[in-house]
Amino acid sequence: MTALRLAGTFLRIGILNELQYRVNLVFSLVQSAIAVGTSLAVLALVFGNTDSLRGWSAGELLVVMGVHVLVGGLIRSVIQPNMQQLMEDIQRGTLDFVLTKPADGQLLVSVRRVQIWQAVDILVGAALVVVAVVRLPATPGVLDVLAFAAALALGAVSIYCFWLLLTTLAFWVTRLDPLVELFEGMYQAGRWPVSVYPGWLRIGFTVLVPLAFAVTVPASALTGRSTGWLLLGSVAFTVALATVTRLAWRHALRRYSGASA
Amino acid sequence: MNGLPGLYATVMKAAVQTQFQYRTANYAYMLGMVAEPVVYLVVWSAVAESRGGSVGGITAGEFAAYYIVWTLVRNMNIVLTPYAWEDRIQQGELSGMLLRPVHPIHYDLAFFAGWKVVVVLLWIPIALVLSVAFRPTFDISALEAVVFLVAIWGAYLIRSLLLWALGMITFWTTRVSAIYDVYFTAELLLSGRLVPLALLPAWAGGLADWLPFKYTFGYPIEVLAGSLSTRELLTGLALQAVWIGFGAALVAAVWRVGIRRYGAVGS
Amino acid sequence: MDIEVDGLRKTFRVPRREAGLRASLRSLVRRTTTEVVAVDAVSFSVEPGEVVGFLGPNGAGKTTTLKMLSGLLFPGSGTVRVLGHVPSRREHDFLRRITLVMGNRNQLQWDLPALDSYEMNRAIYRIPAPDFRRVRDELVELLDLGDQVRKPVRQLSLGERMKAEIVGALLHSPQVLFLDEPTIGLDVTMQKRIRAFLAEYNSRHGATVLLTSHYMADVQALCKRVVVIDAGRILYDGSLRTLSARYSQRQTITATVADRAGLAGLGELVSVDGDRVTLRVDKERSAAVVAALLGHGVTDLTIEDPPVEDVIEQVFAS
Repeated sequence: MTALRLAGTFLRIGILNELQYRVNLVFSLVQSAIAVGTSLAVLALVFGNTDSLRGWSAGELLVVMGVHVLVGGLIRSVIQPNMQQLMEDIQRGTLDFVLTKPADGQLLVSVRRVQIWQAVDILVGAALVVVAVVRLPATPGVLDVLAFAAALALGAVSIYCFWLLLTTLAFWVTRLDPLVELFEGMYQAGRWPVSVYPGWLRIGFTVLVPLAFAVTVPASALTGRSTGWLLLGSVAFTVALATVTRLAWRHALRRYSGASA
Repeated sequence: MNGLPGLYATVMKAAVQTQFQYRTANYAYMLGMVAEPVVYLVVWSAVAESRGGSVGGITAGEFAAYYIVWTLVRNMNIVLTPYAWEDRIQQGELSGMLLRPVHPIHYDLAFFAGWKVVVVLLWIPIALVLSVAFRPTFDISALEAVVFLVAIWGAYLIRSLLLWALGMITFWTTRVSAIYDVYFTAELLLSGRLVPLALLPAWAGGLADWLPFKYTFGYPIEVLAGSLSTRELLTGLALQAVWIGFGAALVAAVWRVGIRRYGAVGS
Repeated sequence: MDIEVDGLRKTFRVPRREAGLRASLRSLVRRTTTEVVAVDAVSFSVEPGEVVGFLGPNGAGKTTTLKMLSGLLFPGSGTVRVLGHVPSRREHDFLRRITLVMGNRNQLQWDLPALDSYEMNRAIYRIPAPDFRRVRDELVELLDLGDQVRKPVRQLSLGERMKAEIVGALLHSPQVLFLDEPTIGLDVTMQKRIRAFLAEYNSRHGATVLLTSHYMADVQALCKRVVVIDAGRILYDGSLRTLSARYSQRQTITATVADRAGLAGLGELVSVDGDRVTLRVDKERSAAVVAALLGHGVTDLTIEDPPVEDVIEQVFAS
């Protein structure tokens, strides 16, 4: 409850401030339009040559792309800004100020920043999903939509955990920006359902970079592919990853304060 | 050595040394970069498979060859990003560059050229792994190999010059990311970076012929991974030369106006 | 007691780097580390409302000690108690009653107005709204910040930023203040302003302050008591005045004399400016020198202890 209130206060302040820089909205819109346009061009190219890609139709892949854009917007507006700030704090020693605050450290470092204009992609992605779903031959039922929402929330948590794990490395490694770059490269792969990839890559994209749980599983729910088991797997994976992340964070802090040395 | 060759030798050597120190970081960058062609490769292989083996006459093995050469060409295409100009102008770095008796573009050309030495060394194992995983089919003649070695440097020069000219827009405005995005998107779609140009619709392919992007990606890749005639090989080099000339003229012109603007506004 | 430190010790392992390619190759396989003692057997205590200055050269262990007191670092051995808490447990009740200011690092968000960062602190410390407004306005008034708190922090000057930082650090009315070089890099007027504020704040709220600084003027203005630390050990703990008395064996005598002949024999002649002479002499001889000076036709005479800087320098030299 306090966590929510804290996050709410931070979010409100961040948004109020970003509202001053309204020009950025235009730039985010241009960026978003270009990204979506490119994706559509790629889809058109692929489906100019074939009717189905490993069992996914053009309309179904549009759903996947919509979810990909949506989650990408979530990453760029909330997750990445916070993690970049954390990285800077670790490098400059200003993390000390976080640790002398009477609130949970992990919570604090995760809610401090928000880049609201990047959230345009969340809306654009959602719109894309809606348009794609409406045009599908089989309209998903209420249960499917609920499964989609649940899978999306779980996927978002997984991606957040993955980013925090990555950022925690900053306690050991001085130059992290290449890793961030690496992740961004990998994230582009999520534009396609993970089942397109050969086995070893599919495992990597599922477990190492949780693209499967963040993008493919939610999209599966809307395209009549999800089973209860898939959702259950997503729950188990998210819980496991969140636990590992929590432990890694505490371990890193203990190391930072010289307790484990 | 003195003069420009001496400058190039010194700056390139410094670049090799610094970038070799950052080899882990360099590797992470390169691995992140590999994700992009692997995705294209996987998707097009799947399409080829669904069509009974080939798309537009390109087989899965040829796609593999295309995108593996792609990784080398992509690395040759790493040049000063236009975003670097904002820092350069704000931090006053540019003023220092202006005091030197050489045109600043030479430092950048030399530095990134030196970096390539490290990049190519690091690239070899990546190419080997990709080859084992995706089984490319190659058929390379001696002429193709020679033309390729020239063409990748041609690609490097074209992209360096064009992006340098683009970066100089920062002299007038700092809100340039949208312009860059348009450039990079056009490049992505019309260079052969996203798909081999043969797969584009005819009108887009025709458009690509009249733009420089093709000569920084598609052409050098196809020299090695495609089956170009001798005539096509050599015309490609000649057109690269034309685009290098165009890029150099553009840089010279924009630089002259930009620097006057910089002098008037200061930093 | 607000702060009790007993037998505190902290060591760090630092990788040992040797020059040369072979050594660096070897270190890839086996990292050789050296143990560095940052703080060694430090004991002291601070009473509520006291202002104590922590003095020492760079790397003496001041910041390490401060970090252990604020719970950022685990002590190697020994015990620390602050307000009855063990700091390294970082209990929220403890954290709510202390604050940390570091002069060379800022905690206000760079792109936001300070007011917004204050609002965030209100949420973090769960300060009731009326208290928050009262304390904030009082601090802003005391530090003469005015509308500066409405500008993005990056637009503030170094001094204004430090003042804004201090406001942010005191919003929750902490009982114990850890100030690490709060005036570093500021110009003299701004230093004075901040010093005056800290003195005022201490007397108004009776807060306990532990302060490290390079500027002796900070310490002289604020602290009756100093703890001198060097190479991790406490060299001196007591009043500033006794420090001068204990460690300076010499005094400076300035006199206006009619007859300057033979003065050099009395002690070290520091300067001669017309008929004003300045002599430096051993303390036990100063009475004798004064007596001797009387024979030279003295019209005006002062005896001074040396400036604190010199004393400190002497402490570290011995």
